[in-house]
Amino acid sequence: MSKRYILLAVVFIGSAFGLVVLPDKHDTKQIPAEKFLIEIYNPARFLSTHQIAKRLIERDPSIFLVDVRTPSEFEEYSIPGAFNIPLEHILDEEWVDYLSQDGVDVVLYSNGNIYADQAWMLIAQQGIKNLYIMKGGVNQWFSTIIQPVEPPETASSEAFDLYAFEKAASIYFGGSFANIESATTTPIKKTVVVRKKKKKAAEGGC
Amino acid sequence: MGPLTYFGEISTEWNYVIAIFIGMAFGYIMEASGFSSSRKLIGVFYGYDFAVIRVFITATLVAIIGLLYMGYFGWIDYSVLFVHPTFIFSATIGGIIMGFGFIIGGFCPGTSLCALAIGKLDGWVFTIALFIGIFIYSLVFPLIKPYYNMGDMGHITISEYLNMSNAWFTFWFAIIAVAIFYVTSVIRKKVKEVRY
Repeated sequence: MSKRYILLAVVFIGSAFGLVVLPDKHDTKQIPAEKFLIEIYNPARFLSTHQIAKRLIERDPSIFLVDVRTPSEFEEYSIPGAFNIPLEHILDEEWVDYLSQDGVDVVLYSNGNIYADQAWMLIAQQGIKNLYIMKGGVNQWFSTIIQPVEPPETASSEAFDLYAFEKAASIYFGGSFANIESATTTPIKKTVVVRKKKKKAAEGGC
Repeated sequence: MGPLTYFGEISTEWNYVIAIFIGMAFGYIMEASGFSSSRKLIGVFYGYDFAVIRVFITATLVAIIGLLYMGYFGWIDYSVLFVHPTFIFSATIGGIIMGFGFIIGGFCPGTSLCALAIGKLDGWVFTIALFIGIFIYSLVFPLIKPYYNMGDMGHITISEYLNMSNAWFTFWFAIIAVAIFYVTSVIRKKVKEVRY
């Protein structure tokens, strides 16, 4: 038997044995822990209620609000245009298309920060981009947009500018500065979700 | 080409271009290995030439080992790979018919096209007969349809069927392959040499 055949046999068995002794493959879709930690500390993952209110008023189509609270809480009050995905169902297969949309900022919110943050951690670890949290949640939304508090007279002019915006936003979203008429005609953005094309399995043949 | 994710997704148009080049390379290598000669091909049944079985087992081994390593390094997305469904009954019957056709005709469908390409007359005859066969088959298909889908096992792989990990299956397969290489070389030495 020639040396070439022996070499070939050794290469085959060796590389096949290499597969056996390789350590278990970790899921490459998940972000490594160190990288994820940096992302968690990145303050850019929070959007303020003002930023969101402004984009909603401008009818920005590139924002998608996700309410992670329970359906009953969602029924009671929700930010106009928001879509309800309760936290316990956030990893369900059917919401993948909703949460990972190209060119759309997905903003999660709950009553405070905690549940939205938990949802963010669960989804962001799957490598989904453009994922944000509304800082302070619905509570912050109420205290800034729906029922803004007038800053003290000694406050800076920026604070007063912000207050002016809050008052206007309050009227828009039917808050304490709005009269009854405008409250009933609060525009509700229709949720449009672009479903991604499912990858077709490649067909083979002889 | 769907599963190759290393360079990002390859568009459908490029898939066809790449497929043509792979097909040309495949045909060239088949021809270069002497697979356009029916005497060489059927040597495997008479025991004087085992090039066919060796080439196919080598190709399978290279493919399986390459696929597993590429999957391990994340260059290939397994979930997109298409696994043909197994119909064990029709595959067995079809395999027997194909085997007899191979011995009688001297070619398998791919190699007959290879022989046709270099202008061999038996290759031409085989290919024309092949299409006549396909035509007859399509006519009688309604009659044999019940047998066609018999023994459906679904999209299953051998390692799944044996409840074995892919790596261990590949390892045992490599050992069996090397054993086959050795046994065929022994048989070949014993069989009287045929000049062709």
